[in-house]
Amino acid sequence: MANFTKISFKKGELNKQLADLFKGMMEKGVVDALLSPMTQPKRGVMQTLITHPAHVERIDPFAPVVPVNGAKIASSITATPSGRKVAMVLRSCETRALIELGKLNLAEFDDVLLIGIDCLGRYENLDFLNLRAQGESSESFLEKALSGDTKRNDIDICGACKICEFPVADTVDLRLCVIGAGADALYVESLTPKGDKVLETAGLSFGEAPGSRDAAVKQLVAARTKARDAEFAGYRESTGSFDALEDRLAACINCYNCRVACPVCYCKECVFVTDTFRHKADQYMGWADTFGTLKMPTDTMFYHLTRMSHMSLFCVGCGQCTSACPNSIDLMPAFRTAAQKTQARFGYQAGRSHDEKQPLTVFENDELVEVTGQVK
Amino acid sequence: MAEKKPTGTILVAGAGVSGIKAAIELAEIGYKVLLTDASPQIGGILAKLDNQFPSDHCGMCRMLPMVGREYASQYCMRKGLYHENIEILPFTQVKSVEGDAGNFTIELLQKARYIDTDRCNGLGECISVCPVEVADEFNHGLTQRKAVYKPVPHSTPQMLLVDMDACTRCGECVKVCPTNVINLDAQDETSNRQVHAVILASGVKLYNLREFEDAKSWAVSPDVVSSLAFERIISGTGTFDGKIKRPSDGKIAKRLAWIQCMGSRNRRQNRDYCSSICCMFALKEAVLAKEKGGDDVETTIFYMDMRTFGKDFYRYYERAVDIGVKFVRCRVQAVMLNPDTSLSMRHYDSQDEEFIVADYDMVVLATGQIPYETHKDLADLLHIKVNAQGLLPTETYDKVKLTKPGVFVCGSLMGLTDLSEAMSSGIAAAGQASRLLAGLDVTIIEEEAVPEPRAKDREDPLVSVVLCKCSDKVEKSSVDFGALEKGLKKLMAVGEVNIIDMVCSDEGKETVLDLLKKSKCNRLVIGACHPFIYRNALKNLAKKAGFAASLFEIIDLSSIVHKGFFEPNRSESGAKDQTREAYNELFAIIENLKLKPALHVETLPINQTALVVGGGIAGMHASFSLAQRGVQVHLVERSDKLGGYASTHVNHTIDGLEPVSMAKDLAIKILEHKNITLHKNCEVAATQGSLGAFETKIKDNENQENIYLQHGAAIIATGGVEGKTAEYEYGNSDLILTQAQLKTGLDTGEIDVSEAETIVMIQCVGSREKQENVKQDGQKQGREYCSRICCVGAIANAMTIRQKNPEARIFILYRDMMTYGFAEQYYTQAREEGIIFVSYTLDTKPRVALVDGKPVMTFLEPVLNSEIEIPADFLILSTGVDAETSNRDIGKAFNLPVNQDGFFVEADSKWRPVEFMKVGLYVAGTAHSPMTLKDAILQAEAAAQKTYAYLSGRKIHTAHAISRVHDAICVRCQRCVDICPYGARSYDEVLDRIIVDGATCQACGMCGVACQNNAAEIMGFSDKQIMAVIDAKMSKNTIGLAAQ
Repeated sequence: MANFTKISFKKGELNKQLADLFKGMMEKGVVDALLSPMTQPKRGVMQTLITHPAHVERIDPFAPVVPVNGAKIASSITATPSGRKVAMVLRSCETRALIELGKLNLAEFDDVLLIGIDCLGRYENLDFLNLRAQGESSESFLEKALSGDTKRNDIDICGACKICEFPVADTVDLRLCVIGAGADALYVESLTPKGDKVLETAGLSFGEAPGSRDAAVKQLVAARTKARDAEFAGYRESTGSFDALEDRLAACINCYNCRVACPVCYCKECVFVTDTFRHKADQYMGWADTFGTLKMPTDTMFYHLTRMSHMSLFCVGCGQCTSACPNSIDLMPAFRTAAQKTQARFGYQAGRSHDEKQPLTVFENDELVEVTGQVK
Repeated sequence: MAEKKPTGTILVAGAGVSGIKAAIELAEIGYKVLLTDASPQIGGILAKLDNQFPSDHCGMCRMLPMVGREYASQYCMRKGLYHENIEILPFTQVKSVEGDAGNFTIELLQKARYIDTDRCNGLGECISVCPVEVADEFNHGLTQRKAVYKPVPHSTPQMLLVDMDACTRCGECVKVCPTNVINLDAQDETSNRQVHAVILASGVKLYNLREFEDAKSWAVSPDVVSSLAFERIISGTGTFDGKIKRPSDGKIAKRLAWIQCMGSRNRRQNRDYCSSICCMFALKEAVLAKEKGGDDVETTIFYMDMRTFGKDFYRYYERAVDIGVKFVRCRVQAVMLNPDTSLSMRHYDSQDEEFIVADYDMVVLATGQIPYETHKDLADLLHIKVNAQGLLPTETYDKVKLTKPGVFVCGSLMGLTDLSEAMSSGIAAAGQASRLLAGLDVTIIEEEAVPEPRAKDREDPLVSVVLCKCSDKVEKSSVDFGALEKGLKKLMAVGEVNIIDMVCSDEGKETVLDLLKKSKCNRLVIGACHPFIYRNALKNLAKKAGFAASLFEIIDLSSIVHKGFFEPNRSESGAKDQTREAYNELFAIIENLKLKPALHVETLPINQTALVVGGGIAGMHASFSLAQRGVQVHLVERSDKLGGYASTHVNHTIDGLEPVSMAKDLAIKILEHKNITLHKNCEVAATQGSLGAFETKIKDNENQENIYLQHGAAIIATGGVEGKTAEYEYGNSDLILTQAQLKTGLDTGEIDVSEAETIVMIQCVGSREKQENVKQDGQKQGREYCSRICCVGAIANAMTIRQKNPEARIFILYRDMMTYGFAEQYYTQAREEGIIFVSYTLDTKPRVALVDGKPVMTFLEPVLNSEIEIPADFLILSTGVDAETSNRDIGKAFNLPVNQDGFFVEADSKWRPVEFMKVGLYVAGTAHSPMTLKDAILQAEAAAQKTYAYLSGRKIHTAHAISRVHDAICVRCQRCVDICPYGARSYDEVLDRIIVDGATCQACGMCGVACQNNAAEIMGFSDKQIMAVIDAKMSKNTIGLAAQ
């Protein structure tokens, strides 16, 4: 079915066109609020909750930066009812994480209009600020990125984005399409009845998809998947042992920033900052006795493995863990390689659909028999 | 001074599963139970069965109590049973029963075991030196045992005994016994006991190849085995470690055959009954053989009728067909032994009209139950006579109640029962006994008041360690107690270490008590033998000394102490290893205890009122049973009158019951009873709460108002309705009727059969068929199950017609005649009377055409193998039983599961047939599945008993170990609610919190797994404890020991 609407824009006016679109939605009462990346008064682009149409003009959805994965933000404004309808502009890694949070009753979609954008990658925060200072705009990024060029001087998009096989957000109501759309146009695609209704109310017509989109998306996904497989193979090769993993994590200082940044690390209070890991002095002494020495702070590897066992089933590969590390530990491949296997084991893919039950949340009499050793 | 009232005491004779179930039920109320068994062990046949369908797992432990679980064993039931209120007396015969209901004197003969099992360490040194070998009856003679032996190889503690018939009194065992507990001169002991009621649960004999002459002709080779022997062959703990091998030569068997109806359905042998259990037994074995033996295992079942009548039985059969089990409808004449030791059998293939000879590696005989002898003996014991059928005489409607007051039966003694009925009947018999005792002047065993525990939760942990060095055997010990004591004393959390001689003796106990009373410690570890045996005695000791039950641990030190001793080349370093092992075990348990919080039980108030949903016979029976024991009952009925289906449709049954008049009498009793409030024209709308404190909203449809009822428990007894059909031209002719219409018509005389020449009945109309196959107008009409009542119902109607018109030709077209149990004799009788039975299959369904308004039948006659066309005066359709349509709404209101057929799903189809997973909610009668009147009454009695067990007291206590919510860090994601298999967790929207139903929670730990936040805590099993134990066990840190 063809559910595409073409929105043409003059050079430099992409954000203005989008602002008009959303402004219209707010004024017509389709939504009461908008969550979108927006240029901040001083500098930088952050997710911003907008309830007054007058402020929509500063939005910048395609800015190549994700300072915080938007899933957590979306969760904080939907987990409990606000009585408002809100449109949210998110990337694939954000919507997929949000779907997982929804399954944990930490997000509610009834009053949400999910708007996904085509994502060609993000820069680290500081890199992005520097590029902006040098005059780089979202449009200029898109233009070059669509032709495969994301590198500026020595700065490139994040490692996670280079191997991300989900440039297109799937489980959304509307999609802002730039891949295969041509230089001066953007397509709004509706994927749900909710999206159809919004387009109707906005007075937008339904048309065909841009002719070259399918092929362009396929090509990009294929390239990214290839890069992913190569990266995974390399990582597994180089980090195949406990020793090697310890080496990877050698600089860790137990600051737990990676779990703060992780969109699917949903616990209110991580067990590693609770009493469970506040040990008595004789405990430390006992451990030290066993080996003669004890590295402090303790439980570093334990922390990472625990987190891996807790969230690898929900990992969406956004790479925020790597971005958050103050000591430049590249955690993303560790988690993504583990997640690939754990999710495959349950035939599960984080964020793929609202309806798939999260593994290990349903009591089964016969499950993983080869692991449990249950015999008849 | 007033005389102290006696404690209500019941004898349960027979410790198979139904006896055990009855005993547990009564013990839960607080009565004292004497549980005897003539054999040296408990568990009956089930000790030998590793797998039970439909799960093909073992679920025996599911019969243990859910509430008050800490008073009973909490481990595998195949290893043994323990309950504070049950005195278990194996190897004990009931010699006489004198007196009347409420006042029986029984004489017990406890046979000598020659081994003091209380002190035996179970390591079996005696077994290794015993020179005598005899066939092991546990493995049906497939293996050998010694004269001193373990009756059940996997039980814990090991209950050894000496088989004096085989013993040569050589005395080798006495010499080698490390604990001096063998006395070959021990004598049988007789004792007299007073009991208020007697429950007989001694089971029945199974037909076997050794004893019965007519069976011996089948046993042409050791590779022809009974189905029970095959269980031992296929068992992982059995004769060949779970490999399916031939007993004759130990070769892997790949071609297996089962022959059904061995010793049953045979009039010549005076066994005109169906043993009821063998079809499912064989099905399960064939499925297991495929699963365990591999895809290339060929399994063939030779049968007469596949009697898959129970709930979900038919689906299990379909599964067996799917995985390739072959079914051949033929009574095999003989098994022949081929020269190459394989076995061959010949059968007639009616389709191809030829004889087929096939070879097999093993043949399993599905041996049935043999009731008569047992019944005769028991009747003599009770000074009563067996009835005309040769069975113990029971009340007309109560299968578990003997006509002799105060005596009840359960299990296969009652008839020919499967596991589910064994459980229901065990509970029902307990219920009947408790009804009797409720009217007597007896007391129950009250829980002892819990003394103030010594440990304050905020005190620093200080552990007292008591180690038993096990009598004068210390010089034989491999553990250096001095070094152990020194090492343990260096641990921070250890306050004191005491080494004691023989904690098990009275002296030893006194010494420990004195020591502990003076102790400043707040936690206690005792290292002694056999936690299973001594846990209770030592727990009481710790309690007396003021230690909290949750802060006390006992570990098995004796296994370590004796371990190295028997090894022939014991070395110095070996001794060090054992000391280190003992140290590490103790270190781990001390670490655990040090971090363990004191656990307290919660007291839950009980509203002593029950809600019964459905005023049919099951609902009325359950209500009356409860009301009689003083429980207030709200009985909710949707229609404007009591009685349900049976009381309006069935005047009399083939076995002489009169449901209509019985229901009328019962309804009057209900209306007159002061404890019962009847709510007619009412429906359940919603319910909330948990055991002891439910609140249910009911809609009064007559007065258009809502009523709110407070109750402590509820029984769902919604019943069923007659099945509908649109097959076989039903509805297109007045001459095509359902069995129910025919029955009513015959009763009222509205249907005249006096002129009828031919009447054709079709069984299984829309039943036992994939639902999608019988869609009508897009509606699923099929019942993928057997309705149980139609085969006997058809025979009953046919016989009535024959009485009115002996000339009428009656054809009953059937798939499998489900005349299981003693109903078989009606089938036999019907055939004698000339009623013609013709079998059909799903592929050869009969066809009907209306010619001049008259049904003309066409069907395949399998013996002639040709189609027959017969014009019929009447065509009667057995349309089965459908689930009550309101079940789904009621299920929603109570949050109870309903299966694809619309019946309620019980907690466990075998082990907990009348309970739901959620404690406090029960099911009875056709709400569970189609069943006969007597079975519905049996379930109603059982459901009432389950209810009464909790409502008899004003309060109940939760277990110490239950799960809790750490609210401050809980994110309310409700993963724990979804995963809880017991429905013990819920999310309260008003409070915005996760609520744990403390009575229902079994501390299984699933919530702890699902919660990544550690907000779901199992009290006493914190991560911190577990990690400390792992640390201790992995630790090479043996501070004190290293210095020795």
